[in-house]
Amino acid sequence: MKRSELIKKLVYARRKLVPSYPLARKLATEEEGGCGVVGFICNIPIGGKHIFYPSIQMHNRGNGKGGGIAAVGLSAETLGVSQEILDNDYLYQIALLDPGVQGQLESEFIEPFFNIDKAQRVETVGDYRDVGLEVRPPDVMQYFVRVKPGVLEEFISENHLEGIDPRRAEDEFVYQNSFKLNQKYYSSLGEKKAFVLSRGRNMCIFKIVGYAEQVVQYYQLENFKAHVWIAHQRYPTKGKVWHPAGAHPFAGLDEALVHNGDFANYFSVAQYLRQHNVFPLFLTDTEVAILLFDLLNRTYGYPLEYIIEAIAPTTELDFDFLPPEKQHIYRALHASHIHGSPDGPWFFIIARNEFYQKYYQLIGITDTAMLRPQVFALYDGGEVQVGLIASEKQAIDATLRSLSEEDKRFCPVADKYWNARGGSHTDGGTFIFTLKKGDAQRLVCTDKFGKEVRVPLNQRPWEVNIPEFQETSLLKQLKKQIEHSLPLDVFRQFVSEIPGLGYEEFYNICSGLAQMATEDDVTKEWVIEFLTLLNDRYYDTGEKKRSWLLWIVSENLKRILGGVVPIGSEEISRYKYIDWQNRKDLRPPRPGEEILVINAWDFPPEGDECDARLICEAYFKGWRRFIAYNYRGQRFCGCGLGPKTNGVRIDVYGSSGDYLGSGLDGLEVYVHGNAQDQVGQILNAGKIVIFGDVGQTFLYGAKGGEAYVLGNAAGRPLINAVGCPRVVINGTALDYLAESFMAGDPLKGGGFCILNGITFDERGRLKELPTPYPGSNLFSLASGGAIYVRDPHRKLVEEQLNGGVFTNLTEADWELILPYLEENERLFGIRVDELLTVDGEKRRPEDVYRKVKAVRLKVLAGQGIPE
Amino acid sequence: MKECNKTEKWPPEVKQTPSRFRRPLSKYKIIRNENCDNCGICVDVCPYGVHKFVGKKVQSPNEHYCIGFACQGTDHYCIDKCPQNALSLVQNPTMEALGDHRWPADLILGTWYQAEYGRPPAHLEYKIGDSGDGFDRLRFNFELDNQTPTSWEIDPEISTSIELNRRGDNRPQVTISVPWYGGGMSFGSISLTVMLARAKACAAWNTFTCTGEGGYPDELVPYKDYIITQIATGLFGVREETIKRARIVEFKYAQGAKPGLGGHLLGDKVTPAVARMRQSIPGMSLFSPFPFHSVYSVEDHKKHIDWVKEINPKALIAVKVSTPNDVDMVAIGSYYAGAHIIFLDGSYGGTGAAPDIAKKNIAMPIELAVPKVHRFLVEEGVRDKVVLMAGGGIRTAYDIAKIIALGADGVVTGTSELVALECTRCHNCESGKGCPRGIATTDPRLSAMVKLDWAAQRISNLFYSWYLQLIDILKRLGMKSVKELVGRTDCLVYIERYEKENEKK
Repeated sequence: MKRSELIKKLVYARRKLVPSYPLARKLATEEEGGCGVVGFICNIPIGGKHIFYPSIQMHNRGNGKGGGIAAVGLSAETLGVSQEILDNDYLYQIALLDPGVQGQLESEFIEPFFNIDKAQRVETVGDYRDVGLEVRPPDVMQYFVRVKPGVLEEFISENHLEGIDPRRAEDEFVYQNSFKLNQKYYSSLGEKKAFVLSRGRNMCIFKIVGYAEQVVQYYQLENFKAHVWIAHQRYPTKGKVWHPAGAHPFAGLDEALVHNGDFANYFSVAQYLRQHNVFPLFLTDTEVAILLFDLLNRTYGYPLEYIIEAIAPTTELDFDFLPPEKQHIYRALHASHIHGSPDGPWFFIIARNEFYQKYYQLIGITDTAMLRPQVFALYDGGEVQVGLIASEKQAIDATLRSLSEEDKRFCPVADKYWNARGGSHTDGGTFIFTLKKGDAQRLVCTDKFGKEVRVPLNQRPWEVNIPEFQETSLLKQLKKQIEHSLPLDVFRQFVSEIPGLGYEEFYNICSGLAQMATEDDVTKEWVIEFLTLLNDRYYDTGEKKRSWLLWIVSENLKRILGGVVPIGSEEISRYKYIDWQNRKDLRPPRPGEEILVINAWDFPPEGDECDARLICEAYFKGWRRFIAYNYRGQRFCGCGLGPKTNGVRIDVYGSSGDYLGSGLDGLEVYVHGNAQDQVGQILNAGKIVIFGDVGQTFLYGAKGGEAYVLGNAAGRPLINAVGCPRVVINGTALDYLAESFMAGDPLKGGGFCILNGITFDERGRLKELPTPYPGSNLFSLASGGAIYVRDPHRKLVEEQLNGGVFTNLTEADWELILPYLEENERLFGIRVDELLTVDGEKRRPEDVYRKVKAVRLKVLAGQGIPE
Repeated sequence: MKECNKTEKWPPEVKQTPSRFRRPLSKYKIIRNENCDNCGICVDVCPYGVHKFVGKKVQSPNEHYCIGFACQGTDHYCIDKCPQNALSLVQNPTMEALGDHRWPADLILGTWYQAEYGRPPAHLEYKIGDSGDGFDRLRFNFELDNQTPTSWEIDPEISTSIELNRRGDNRPQVTISVPWYGGGMSFGSISLTVMLARAKACAAWNTFTCTGEGGYPDELVPYKDYIITQIATGLFGVREETIKRARIVEFKYAQGAKPGLGGHLLGDKVTPAVARMRQSIPGMSLFSPFPFHSVYSVEDHKKHIDWVKEINPKALIAVKVSTPNDVDMVAIGSYYAGAHIIFLDGSYGGTGAAPDIAKKNIAMPIELAVPKVHRFLVEEGVRDKVVLMAGGGIRTAYDIAKIIALGADGVVTGTSELVALECTRCHNCESGKGCPRGIATTDPRLSAMVKLDWAAQRISNLFYSWYLQLIDILKRLGMKSVKELVGRTDCLVYIERYEKENEKK
C-alpha cells in the first residue's frame, strides 16, 4: 500500500473515536510551566535507583505535585516473562484510581480483544505515607498482551487496512483500544476511575502525585533494570491535585515523553491533531506533544529527522545554510505540518523502543529559540557507555555519581557536556542516543542530521584502582619546588609529564600533594592553586581520559578543603571551614584568619538558609575571601553582598547553580568548572571568570564589570546589556549574542564583547571552531557597544547581523581590547600570540579580528535628539 | 507605622492648592458683555468666588468655581441677578473635546477639584465615568436609595489600613494606612519632579509609590521606605543596591495596558538624562523585552523571586501581571512561587504611550479578572495568604471600593495621580518631548512647569478626598475596616439589572 493511501486510511480509521468526543472548545487546563527533566541511556541495564538522585536534584524544579518515570529496554526476568513475550507483547499498564473498576474494565477492554500472556499487579510498599507521599498512588496493573488474531482480522477489514503489515495494524488497534479506555474511564467522567499509563512494547511508565523518586520507592523499582530511564518533576500550579494522570511522562505507542516548558499554541496544535482524528484527553501540552510525535511517526511514517523538522522547523539563516536538497524536503514538511509545530518554550526528552528497527533511543529536542535549559552529556568507558540529557548539569552529575558508586566503570565526570542549538543547520537542536539491540551493544550519539558525537578513541578509561601511596621521584621533585617556585611555573613543566603518566601515578601525585597541603597554610595555598590549574586548564592527557583526571583532581581538592580547621575550633589558621552542620558557628574572622572554606553540599539550593545567604552573612561579619566547594546546583552564589564589594573574592568548585553572581557589584567570582543559567545578570562592577561553559542569558541586563569565559555561552548572552560591561568569550554562543545591546561606544568607555571562536582539541591544543558564531542573530537591534570577533577567514556574513555592521579593527580598538586579551591569557593560558596565529603564521590584529558596531536603526532612532 | 501615631498629623493635612494656570479649564463659561457697569451685585451674591473686584472693576470671572446651571433658581444666580443683563452662562465648548469615555471631562474636572480642596465636589462628577461598562455600571446598594447627605468627616473608629505580608514567613510586616499604593511610572516616562511628588505624597500617607522600570534616581533615596523598586524585563537601572534598599520589590511581568509587549520609550524621550539613568544611548528607543529572558515558566518564576529574596532577605515580593484568560492560574502560580503581593493590572490603564492596538483590546477587564482570581484563590485555600492588588483604570474612590468589594485587598493607582496634576488626558505622552503639561516628559523646560510642593500637595489632597469617601462608604455599609469589604459582591448592584427590575415594577 502506498504511504499516502495508508495515511488516509489510518486517519479514517480513527474517525469513530470522534462522535463521543466533546467538540466544545477546550483549552489546556492542566497549567504548568517548566519542570525538571532528566533521562539517560546505558549500554548495560541499570536499576531504577539511579534515577533517584537526579530526581532529588531537581526538586526545586517541581513542587511535589506530580512526578513520573519511564523505563525502556526492560528485564524479562524481573517481569517474570520470557524474552520473547517481553519483546513482542504490548505491555498494557493501567492505573486504577478506583481499584473497584478492575473487573469491569478487564471484561470490557482487555479480555474480549487480547490474549493475555501475563497479568500482574505491580508490587508497592505497604503504606504510601512511608515514602512521604500525601496522596495514595494508583494501583497499577500490568498486562502482557497480543491482539487476538480474529479481532485483528476484523479490525483490518473493517477499516480497509488490507495490505498493511499486520503488526502495524495491531499497533493501531492497541492505540484505539487504549484511547477508548481512557475516554470511558477517565475523560468522560466527572469522577476519574482509571487511565492507561503506557501500552508500548518493552517499556513502561509510572506516575504519582509526589516527586519522581517516590515513584521508584513506592513501586519498588530500585533494582528494576532498564536500558533507558527518564524522569520528570512537575510543577502544576493548581493546589489540589488528587491523581497523577496529568503528570509526565506521556506515552505514544512505544515511546515516552517528558517535557519542560509550555506551548503558546496548545489550541492550534490540538486543532491540527483533531484534523487527523487525534484527540487529546488529558488537556496538557505534553500529551499533545507525544500525540504529534506518534502521528508523524506511526501515521506519516517519517524518519526521525523529518519528525524533528516537523516539530522544530529550521528557520531564518539556518535554513539558508542547509543543502538545497534538504531545503526542498524541509520546505515540504513545513508546508504540511507548520500548524502542528509547537510554539514557545519547550524541551522534550523522549525514550523509545523502536520495535521494527530493533533499537532503543533517548532523544532530546529543543525549541527553535532555545528558551528552556538543556544539557547533554556522554561518557564512553568502553565496557560501559552512558548518554544523558537533563534540564540542568547537576542532575547529570548526580546520575553519574550514583552510577559510579555502584559500578566503578562509570566515571562521575562525563567525557563531554554540551548544549543543542535549536532549529539550527549545525545540529538541528537535537541529539539522539541510539542503542542497537544485539550482542555487541554500542551506544551511538548523533545529532539530527546523523553526525556522530565522539569522544577521543585512543583514551582508555581508568579501572579504578586507588594505589597504595608511594613517594615517587616525580612527586619528590614537585614537592621540592613548592617552596621556591610559583604553582603556574611548576604546572607548565608538569603538563609535559602528564601524557606519560599512568592513572595510578597521576593519582599518587595528586594525593601526595593533598597530603602535604595539610602541613601548613603556605603549602596548602600552593597545592590548592596547583590542583586548581590541573582542574581549569586544558592539556594533553595522553591515553588517559580527561574526565577521570578531573575526578582525581577534584577528589583531592575536596580532601584538602574538607580537612581545613573548622570555624568553631580555636586553632589559628588562615583557612577556616564551615558546612551545613556547623553553620551556626559563623563568626567574624579573627586576626590571621583570612579564607572561609564553605562546603556547600548539604545546603538547600535557595531560601533563607542557603549557602549564598551564609556567604552574605560572613561578608557582613568581615570575611573577604571564600572558597565554596562541593556544589550540586545551589543557586545565587555571590548574590546579595551589595555594592562596593571590591576586594572580595569567591572561588567556586563543583556544579554551581543558576543566578551565580547575578547582581555582582564589585566582587570577583571564579567558577572552576561549568556555570549554569542566568549567571551575572545585572552585573554592575566586579569580575566573573568561568573556567568552562556558561548557560542561558549570561549577563542579561549587565551594566558594567568584566567577565571571562573559557568555553561557550548558551543562548542570549549579554542581552539587553547597557553601560560598559567588558566580556571575553573564548568559545562561541548558541545564538542571540548581545541582542539589544545598548552599551556606549567602547572607545569612549562603553562596553564590548570579544568572541574568540576557539576550542581545544583532545591534546589540549587551541583549535578554531568551524565558525566563530553559528547563530543567525548577532548583535540584533543593538544600539551601542561593539563585538570584536576573531574571524580570520571571514566566515561571518552580513545576514547574521540585524543592527550591526562589520568594520575594520583600528589601532585604537586593538589598544582597547589587548589588556583584556592579556588578562584572558593570564587566566586561561590562551596566549595572545596564539590567537593572532592563523594557519601557523602570525598575523596583524586587524587581519584576525573584526569589529561589529551598531548602526542607527530607523526603528530605534528618535527624531529630535542630536547625536 | 504612621497609623500608630495618629496624633502626629494623621491624616495628612489638606492645603488648598489651586491650579497652576491663571485661567484653569472650566465646565462653564460666563460671558460678560459691554453692558456691565461694575455694580458688584454679582460679587455680592456669588458664594463660590466666581466674581471678584480688582480695584473698582469686576474682573473676568473665575469660571472654574462656577457650579453652572445648578445655580439657576437660587437666590444667588448671578445671571438673573444682574440688573444690566450683562451676564450669560453657557457650557464651555472645550468640555466636548476634553477627556474620553473612561475619563469624561466632568470627572477630570472633579478630580482637579479634589486635588485642589481635598474633598469631593458638590457639582462635578467624582465617582464614575461614562464608559458604559465596568465600574461605571456598578453601584453600591446604598447609592440606589435616597442618600442622606454626607458631612465628609473622619471617623477614627474606621480603619483603612491593610497588611501586605500574609505569608507568615520570616519577612517583616508592612502595613499601609490606605488601601492603595502608586503604580510604577518610570523616570523617562514622567519627570523627576512628578516622581518625587508622588513619593512625597505617598510617604505622607504611609503608603508606597514605585520606581517603574527606568531606574532609581538618587533624589528618591530619602523616600526609600515608601518606594517600591521595580524589576522589569529591561532590567534598566536595577542593581543590587536598588533591590536591597526597598521594602517591597515588584517584578513587572506584564502591563495590563499592553500585555504581550514590554515597556517602551521612544527615542525622542530618551534624553541624555534618561539615557544616563538607564545607561543606554541617548535618542535611541528603549524596548524592554517581553517577557523576562530568564523566565519562561512558573519554576523559572520561583527561581527569579528566590533570587531577589536572596539579595534582600527583608523585602516583600510583589508580582505585577496583566489579566489574560488564565489569570487565575498566573495568580496561583505566583503564590506558589513565593510572592507576597499579586498585582493584577487590568486593561483600562496605561498612558498615551501604550499603543492603541494593545490598549483596551487584549487583557481582561479588571472587574472581571479580580473576582475570578479571588474566587479561585479562595477555592484553593490560599486567599488569606496573599495580598491581591488591582490596578489599571482605578480612577476614583468609588472604583477603589468597588474593586475591593469584588475581591481585591487594595488598588494600585497611576493615571489619577497625573490627573491631579492637571493632566488633560490628551494622549500625547510618547510623542516628541512628551507632555504639554510638563508631567509625562523629561524635557527640562517642560518639566519646570511642575513644582514639587504644589504637585505633592495636589496628590495628597486627592488622597484625602478618597480617604473621606472610603470612610463614608464603609460607614454606610456598616463596616469598621476596609478589610471587611473584600469580596463582598453582595454590596454591589449591576445597574442594568436594577433598572430592568425597576421597569417591571
